[in-house]
Amino acid sequence: MPDGLWDTAEIPEGVVANWFYADGGEVPKGATVAEITVEKTSYDIEAPEGGRLKIVVPKDGVVLPGTVIGKIGDG
Amino acid sequence: MASDRVLTVSRAMAEAIGQEMRADPNVFVMGEDIGAYGGIFAATQGLLEEFGEERVRDTPISETAFIGAGVGAAMSGMRPIVELMFVDFFGVCMDAIYNMAAKNIYFSGGNFKVPMVLMTATGGGYSDAGQHSQTLHATFAHIPGLKVVAPSNAYDAKGLMISAIRDDSPVLYMFHKGLQGLVWMASPEGAAAVVPEDSYTIPFGQAKIVRPGKDVTIVTLSMMVHRALEAAEMLAKEGIDAEVIDLRTLVPLDRQTVLQSVAKTGRLVVVDEDYQSYGVTAEIIASVAETDPTMLKAAPRRVAYPDIPIPYSRPMEQFALPNAGKVADAVRETLDLKKAA
Repeated sequence: MPDGLWDTAEIPEGVVANWFYADGGEVPKGATVAEITVEKTSYDIEAPEGGRLKIVVPKDGVVLPGTVIGKIGDG
Repeated sequence: MASDRVLTVSRAMAEAIGQEMRADPNVFVMGEDIGAYGGIFAATQGLLEEFGEERVRDTPISETAFIGAGVGAAMSGMRPIVELMFVDFFGVCMDAIYNMAAKNIYFSGGNFKVPMVLMTATGGGYSDAGQHSQTLHATFAHIPGLKVVAPSNAYDAKGLMISAIRDDSPVLYMFHKGLQGLVWMASPEGAAAVVPEDSYTIPFGQAKIVRPGKDVTIVTLSMMVHRALEAAEMLAKEGIDAEVIDLRTLVPLDRQTVLQSVAKTGRLVVVDEDYQSYGVTAEIIASVAETDPTMLKAAPRRVAYPDIPIPYSRPMEQFALPNAGKVADAVRETLDLKKAA
């Protein structure tokens, strides 16, 4: 998740609203992989690379800008 | 490309509309807050950015005018998708729907087609009161000339939307707010589904057996498919094996799948979030009774919304809504078993 996606002084935390690929699934580069909700506003998170998805923060998990919510790659 | 991508219903609808807009320049979208806002239930998210204001047209709060305009556009060769924000708002524009859209193919002796999709949000359960929570399935399914679809999941939502856009008759596309997968309204597991990236259609008039079973047939649609599946899981623990049928489309109605199932199970429970009297539940039971009442080993049951305006109060609304417990009780009655305490 990008740093500075929202102002944490205004809104301390957000939530992972949706994952669009299953844990362990193949994700193409550039696909919308997750959706974050912050005070009823939602942000789409794009896959920066293609590969196998490892979900780190599950649906409904609490996140901050800069949080690693998942990893994509063959590792 | 094949993948296991999971979409919410709202994203599946927007993807379907976008793909048809790319394929056919006559397809456009019109409605209140469907442009910059992306639809209040997100069914048109992202379309304005790609297709611009000519083809993704925000309207004033003027359903009488813009649904009438949709009928005219459809009869002039366009393929409009018009959003009626809540189905509850049909009162001001019903003339355009049931006297124009539904009848003009007949009135013109087939010389005009009306390839319009009227998509509209249905359903309650989130305390939005009696004029924002109805499903009104039967109100529209009752009117000759309209096709009516109501998907329960994202896979069906995309395929039925593409079929609706390509259909030369007016199609009422009824999507349940609680299935959309919105970040501010919880949706049941199973509403979001694996959705192929490629375009595909789902033919109208084909119900789907979403859970095979041998003891009782539960016929339902839209949100209530998920409540029925919950009930089936509860009943499975008691050794009762329920078959659950998702009608998917009300007009045309797949009576054959219902009849074949009831012939097998001999017991029928019909579940609908719409008002009980004069509704979908009665239509399904009548279809069985007219064909062969001896198929039924017990009186059929219906679980639907009581014949009252929907309350705003959360405890009162939840009390009135059909749920898994009520469905399970109805099934037990068909099996002569006691209701759960």
